[in-house]
Amino acid sequence: MVFNTLTFAAFFLFVVLLHSLPLGWKVRKVNLLLASYVFYAAWNPPFILLLWISTVVDWYAAQGLVHAERPGARRAWMLLSVVANLGMLLYFKYGTFLLHNFTVVMAAFGVHYQPPPFDIVLPVGISFYTFATMSYTLDVYLRRSLPARNFLDYALFVTFFPHLVAGPIMRPTELVPQFETPRRASMQQLCFGLGLMTIGLFNKVVLADTFLSGAAERVYDAAGAPGFLDGWIGTLAFSGQIFCDFAGYSTTAIGAALCLGFAMPDNFRFPYAAIGFSDFWRRWHITLSSWLRDYLYIPLGGNRHGPLRMNLALMGTMLLGGLWHGANWTFVAWGGLHGIYLVAERRIRALFAGYQPGPLALFGLGLLTYLLVNLTWVFFRAKDFSVGWQVLRGMLGLNGSAKPILPTVFIASVAVIMPLLVAVHWYMRDRTLESALARVPPAVIALVWGLMAFLIVISQGAGNAFIYFQF
Amino acid sequence: MPSSTSSSRRLTASDRPGVAQPVPVRDVPEHRWGLLLVIALLLAVGLTGTWEWHWRHYGVVASMRDDAELWARQRRRIDNGDGNATVLIGASRTFFDVQLPVWERLSGKRPIQLALVGTSPLFALDDLADDPNFKGRILMGVAPDVFFSGYEYRGTFLRFFQKESPSQRVGKWLSMHLVEPQLAFYDPDFALFTVIRRQDWPQRSGLKGGLQVRKLSLSAADRQSYMWSKVENDSEYRALTRRIWAQDFNPPAPTPAELIDKEKTLYLQIARATAAIARLRARGVPVIIVREPSTGEYLKFETSNFPRAKAWDVLIARTGAPGIYFEDYPALRSGYELPEWSHMTRASAERYTVELYRIMERDFPPADGSRW
Repeated sequence: MVFNTLTFAAFFLFVVLLHSLPLGWKVRKVNLLLASYVFYAAWNPPFILLLWISTVVDWYAAQGLVHAERPGARRAWMLLSVVANLGMLLYFKYGTFLLHNFTVVMAAFGVHYQPPPFDIVLPVGISFYTFATMSYTLDVYLRRSLPARNFLDYALFVTFFPHLVAGPIMRPTELVPQFETPRRASMQQLCFGLGLMTIGLFNKVVLADTFLSGAAERVYDAAGAPGFLDGWIGTLAFSGQIFCDFAGYSTTAIGAALCLGFAMPDNFRFPYAAIGFSDFWRRWHITLSSWLRDYLYIPLGGNRHGPLRMNLALMGTMLLGGLWHGANWTFVAWGGLHGIYLVAERRIRALFAGYQPGPLALFGLGLLTYLLVNLTWVFFRAKDFSVGWQVLRGMLGLNGSAKPILPTVFIASVAVIMPLLVAVHWYMRDRTLESALARVPPAVIALVWGLMAFLIVISQGAGNAFIYFQF
Repeated sequence: MPSSTSSSRRLTASDRPGVAQPVPVRDVPEHRWGLLLVIALLLAVGLTGTWEWHWRHYGVVASMRDDAELWARQRRRIDNGDGNATVLIGASRTFFDVQLPVWERLSGKRPIQLALVGTSPLFALDDLADDPNFKGRILMGVAPDVFFSGYEYRGTFLRFFQKESPSQRVGKWLSMHLVEPQLAFYDPDFALFTVIRRQDWPQRSGLKGGLQVRKLSLSAADRQSYMWSKVENDSEYRALTRRIWAQDFNPPAPTPAELIDKEKTLYLQIARATAAIARLRARGVPVIIVREPSTGEYLKFETSNFPRAKAWDVLIARTGAPGIYFEDYPALRSGYELPEWSHMTRASAERYTVELYRIMERDFPPADGSRW
């Protein structure tokens, strides 16, 4: 079920009403669990089995970890969880990719292997819920937390519909304790939650789908090579689209949870105002970057074993982080570029350790960061490297004879929205949405809220899936 | 999670490496959010009402949105007990010009409308040929520029039907009962970006401009469709729709290579139709091919680009299917009103359906004794 659909609106209204009935806490949790299964099954019912497998395996793995006494046994329970989750992920998400690369490698050695058709449907959200359930077992293994006290709370942590298919990737310690005591949203929380959902849907339906996606599609899916203007407008449009799409999803999810009385963590913190790439990754898809840091980068050695080992761990983390986004080498290249940026940034910071940039220099460094982030988006958006290089050449002005691609209306949309978006990120750089809203006059909030809702309605979004669903 | 004065800095997992993450805290800024919600809702409803009034004033009436979900609902009927029905496939002329209530009055059964605007019917013909549940009859409309070029503006609808999720089905049901019958503006032609896009934007040099196809029809839940009265009655709008078609009437002279490609494409379409019809015939499914009327500049364009002898006649000869070419029948040739040269007004479409059905029953009755 997608947030920006009539089906979800009806479902959500029903769930909020059900959750507000004067029923026992356990009954209301069971209601939420069943509703979450309906939410997931509404997309493709059979794949609910995978969700159950992931849930049950990690429940028993964590129980086993608690009762195991020998380190070897603990490691075995942990590995059971990792292998089961990554096994599902490998088969469903990377099966075709691995097979394709296997045949390419074999062909390079002169072995021509023709695999049978391997047409697998990717279960929506599998990358998200497998990471959530793995964090449960890994936290117990790393002795950061105890297992949930009962299966219901744990199953609801895995399945809770606001975060289930596209995050924020929740840690058990963030959500399970919230299921231990009765929760119901206050009127303030319910109404503010609806406000957050309006902001999220405005980002998705109006900005991403209505005004930005068209320019990106036309440039990246065009038959011809783009020129300088088209290359940049298409890429800037995608940088806005992916932010508004994904941050829009996260904000809607946070709002939906708040309407039910639950708190979910921020997943974005105005990333296009980042100064440097370590700052960018503290602001972009925070729950994934922190997951990768805690369960991959730190176990790989982190910064505890000297610069070389640290750089290798960083590159490994970013390459795998890229691959997490999709079974395509272009995503690996995207992750690799970010890895190189991070390594280079650390080196530059070490070289200029005493340098204190002024406000203008900080702004310049921020814009440079945004510019370099845009270069990485080229490979994230391009369906293959030939398209990526073609767009990149255009952005560097090297496609001399390129014909124009984008009609004026697309250029105007991006030229108005993107500077505004980046300006808003700079204004909000050290603020939270809540702290900023607290200072806005109520009349202005009501006016903007109503206007956003109106624009969502007249945009007539076609229920497009969120980009991150495919990951 | 107390409501509290919001702080300007909130820690996230990025600030807490390598530890168990605590329960998040979400502030609610100090405002009367219930009151703000009510005001915002009133404003949104007021603005939406004004938008609706604007489009109704323009002449729009509420009708069903002819999208992939609506098409899938009709396609699903074949698998849910209507496998013996007459199915209409084709492009927009079959969609607008064949009137389902008239057909039902004549035959006693309402056909299933699967024609799609701007889309060659061959994907649907192939699909029906491969579906053992289908044992009915097929009327395949041919609009030469769409059919013989293999153009598929909405060719993804079949894949949508095959992959449609329960959520999408429920969403369409809700929309058909709560939204589409009430709101005239809920139509892709009046979506925000579509409206903005068709304003008078300056043209980029070197970029071929072009008017997008505008709204032409109204549809019911079973895809019974007819021409929107504005096309018929508003001379300015009618002139606009003609200008839109005319954009394609004088293409640059093709190169020899393009001519060869065009001919190859044409024969590919005929070969595809021939193979599908052979499969249907083997199952006893009758197929009739109909070239619906066009007039004026559109007819001139079709005649010069897809001459009958090279296209239609070859199609009928290769497939061996019965064919009705409108110019061969006085009852189909004249007396109809096609305001933009391509589609009939509702009244003309009703008369045309009567005449077409009579000819089909008279000259090409199904071999099994059933009625079209």
